[in-house]
Amino acid sequence: MAEDDAIFDPSLKKKKKKKKTAFDIDAALAEGGNETQENNTAADGETKEEDPDDANVDIDLDFTKKKKKKKKQPFTSEDLDAVGGESKDDAGNKVNNQDDGPLDDNFDLEVDFSKTKKRKKKKKDLGELMAAEADEKHEDKENVDENSAVWMGSDRDYTYDELLKRAFEIMRDKNPDMAAGKKQKFVMRPPQVVRIGTKKTSFANFTEICKMLHRQPKHLLDFLLAELGTSGSVDGNSQLIIKGRFQQKQIENVLRRYIKEYVTCHTCRSPDTILQKDTRLFFLQCETCGSRCSVASIKSGFQAVTSKRAAIRAKTA
Amino acid sequence: MSIQNLNTFDPFADASKGADDDVQDGLVHIRIQQRNGRKTLTTVQGLSSDYDLKKIVRACKKEFACNGTVIEHPEYGEVLQLQGDQRENICQWLTKAGLAKPDQLKVHGF
Repeated sequence: MAEDDAIFDPSLKKKKKKKKTAFDIDAALAEGGNETQENNTAADGETKEEDPDDANVDIDLDFTKKKKKKKKQPFTSEDLDAVGGESKDDAGNKVNNQDDGPLDDNFDLEVDFSKTKKRKKKKKDLGELMAAEADEKHEDKENVDENSAVWMGSDRDYTYDELLKRAFEIMRDKNPDMAAGKKQKFVMRPPQVVRIGTKKTSFANFTEICKMLHRQPKHLLDFLLAELGTSGSVDGNSQLIIKGRFQQKQIENVLRRYIKEYVTCHTCRSPDTILQKDTRLFFLQCETCGSRCSVASIKSGFQAVTSKRAAIRAKTA
Repeated sequence: MSIQNLNTFDPFADASKGADDDVQDGLVHIRIQQRNGRKTLTTVQGLSSDYDLKKIVRACKKEFACNGTVIEHPEYGEVLQLQGDQRENICQWLTKAGLAKPDQLKVHGF
């Protein structure tokens, strides 16, 4: 695994750079846009501080939108909000990536909440990554050759590291697809979160996201409501109405957690899974590696009284 | 007289107690709830009943400069309730005080 990290490290660094530039552009745009943005960036600091907490949730979500769209559309307050979310996210990503370095082996499936334009860019990115990896590989090959030569010729015992390197090298030589396919991208669209009035929030593309994740809307709904500790329902336009004020970023966070727990396979991290209910328990069946494991049931737990007690008494009595 | 072989012996008796007894077992759920406006409420569920929750809440109130209370719930036992978003504070505090390990803390909410 150590060698694995060594290979992935440069790519990670490269990525970070890319991300940074993207973020700068966003930030520049945003700052040009309006001063309310500054508030958002101020919020950035807070989110950054929060992020390391989430370090064990290393899914690299990238809820970014088309860049074009931003330029074309007139700035509405919602749009600004969305943009703020983006720049914030990029910042979050940066932090995440930095965190990724040391504990990469934890979780390196990348979930990419980006739209078409960005995707193209990402692909190019991937190409570069591949190239970088290939270079890396060559270097490694030499190293391994050296290493192997070191103990092949002599009588001394080979070290564990050398053997491990050799094994990985052979593995990569025999099936190059695996090395390439390891960086799997899971493209997600960002959740569209709009405030309705002052007390409710609408999650507009809720059913769409359910379809993308291949999950029952009811299951995701249960999870969202339990996590957010509120109530809500799906309305006629198949959008989710949640009680309380929530921002896109917050919903993203919860979605991220949902994906980690209930969508990606716990063994191979593939998102290609089916959720089955078997004797009151939910099982996650992976389509890629065929593993099957039970997942935690959704419990809302203790709920404190937040509404007016007099109102509750009036309702019950 | 008694035959020792027929005595009931629970091989897992000591296992259920946990290896280290200064840290409780089981998850601690830390949740956040929105109240009206910008106000929030943090609840801490699942702290072991071996601890004196009243003392804990007293310490937390002083540490985080917020109000708080212990609520008795028929299903979930004693639940800590603190005013404001104290999720990070309480996580750090619980680990620092050695009441729970970081992997036992489960933070919910946005």
